[in-house]
Amino acid sequence: MSVIETVRASWVMGALRSVTPRSLVRAHNAIVPHDSVSGRSLTVVIAIMCFLACLTAGAVHLVSQSANAWTQDLASEITVQINPARDVDMEKQVTLIALFLAKQPGVTRVSPLSVDQSARLLEPWLGQNSEIASLPVPRLIAIEIDRAALPDLEGLRVALEETFSMAKLDDHRRWQAEIRTVTRSLALGGITVLVLVAAATIATIISATRSAMASNREIIEVLHLVGAKDQFIASEFERHFLVVGIRAGLMGAGAAALVFTLLPLVLHLLGQGGLAAAEFKRLLGDAILDPLGYFVLFLVVVVVAALSMLTSRYGVYAILKTYS
Amino acid sequence: MIRFENVGLRYGMGPEVLRDINFHLLPGSFHFLTGPSGAGKTTLLRLLFMALRPSRGLTYLFGQNPTDQTTGERAELRRRIGVVFQDFRLLDHLTTWQNVALPLRVTGRDEADYKDDVTELLKWVGLGDRMHAFPAILSGGEKQRAAIARAVIGKPELLLADEPTGNVDPQMANRLLRLFVELNKLGTSIVIATHDQLLMEQFKKPQLVLHDGHLTIRG
Repeated sequence: MSVIETVRASWVMGALRSVTPRSLVRAHNAIVPHDSVSGRSLTVVIAIMCFLACLTAGAVHLVSQSANAWTQDLASEITVQINPARDVDMEKQVTLIALFLAKQPGVTRVSPLSVDQSARLLEPWLGQNSEIASLPVPRLIAIEIDRAALPDLEGLRVALEETFSMAKLDDHRRWQAEIRTVTRSLALGGITVLVLVAAATIATIISATRSAMASNREIIEVLHLVGAKDQFIASEFERHFLVVGIRAGLMGAGAAALVFTLLPLVLHLLGQGGLAAAEFKRLLGDAILDPLGYFVLFLVVVVVAALSMLTSRYGVYAILKTYS
Repeated sequence: MIRFENVGLRYGMGPEVLRDINFHLLPGSFHFLTGPSGAGKTTLLRLLFMALRPSRGLTYLFGQNPTDQTTGERAELRRRIGVVFQDFRLLDHLTTWQNVALPLRVTGRDEADYKDDVTELLKWVGLGDRMHAFPAILSGGEKQRAAIARAVIGKPELLLADEPTGNVDPQMANRLLRLFVELNKLGTSIVIATHDQLLMEQFKKPQLVLHDGHLTIRG
């Protein structure tokens, strides 16, 4: 090995030691053997729990992202609906109302929807039908409002409806409330799933701690007899569970990240047709997890690792109490 | 340093295996604990290193009553006691060196602080070339010496040994006993449970004799 390689190797080892807890680096002489604590099945179970938690957290994040975008859009727009009436020139009414609206303070853009555009909105219910245009379909005017200087919507509503009896202003408040309700329900459902996953993880770790303590009973006795305190014994066990938690957490989160990375592609493939895919897309938007979403997955790993470590610590304390 | 007053011990609802045990060990004392098999020697040693609690009576170790103490305080007391078990109780997955260093490691000391001491002691007990061997491949005598080295590495104030020379040849038994005598000269109190009459005659130390659960002191 050349001098440069030797220096490089020692630098790499030094850097590794600086970022890795010393106790983890010295795993080869662990007092409690690693294999006696963490079987492969424990790692797999925690990895699955972490995967489910990451999927839930990521999906809730996607939905809330999508809902935020909707409410943002809805809050920046209001709609005027003009009901059809006999013997009234609807085109003229639409133009008059659009002109009236354009003059109002806080209104930045007025876009009347043509008869065809209004008819297209009804297509999901009535299908593609050339007769729709001949029906007395209400006409719509989309209005963008200045979010920095919001118009007096109540005043606008009164003025509009006094001037044009056929017009009705919809400020989308009802839709916003409904979206908020849906988002909160999904978040609540997500939190419930996360709590259940956490409870299952805790139960698994407690059971694994018990079994690890039982299979290492002799080591624990020797440690006690040479003067080890409960904290020392607990730290010997919790270190292994921390490693298991990190390893399993990364496996679960990695698999979930893969799912989220492939999700837009899957949606794209499904989106070639199919109403379910379209609804799914409406719910999740483009289904692309942003950096904050990946940070949420990382947080799940941190929580799973911490949960593994803390549960095992208190489990060991509780069991040691029964020994003494 | 160690005082037992009217100590009795029974396992569960069984008969008392130790009855009305009274003795007082002074700092720097050296005693053999002897008696026929089943007389309660190991049980008395277990009481001395707090692996058992007396059913009645009072025990004082280093002036403190262990039953009044927390587990942490009892651990501190145990660090002042070295124990050689009859069945050695070495940890099979650790090397001889790591086993001997265990009492120092559990105190949280840095390995660099005691590395040389452990190596030197292992050489002294004749295990210099077996330091990196695992207990499974050590002979009975080597395990015995490793167990003794583990008991004395922390320079305990009290050393308890259960048949420490049972698995070694007379020459090594003598050598190990001389180690105990040297430790005793440095101030460590020693209690050695043994059947070996020759050894007791050779070293001429007071004897705690257990018979039928009762204790008498000779010499």
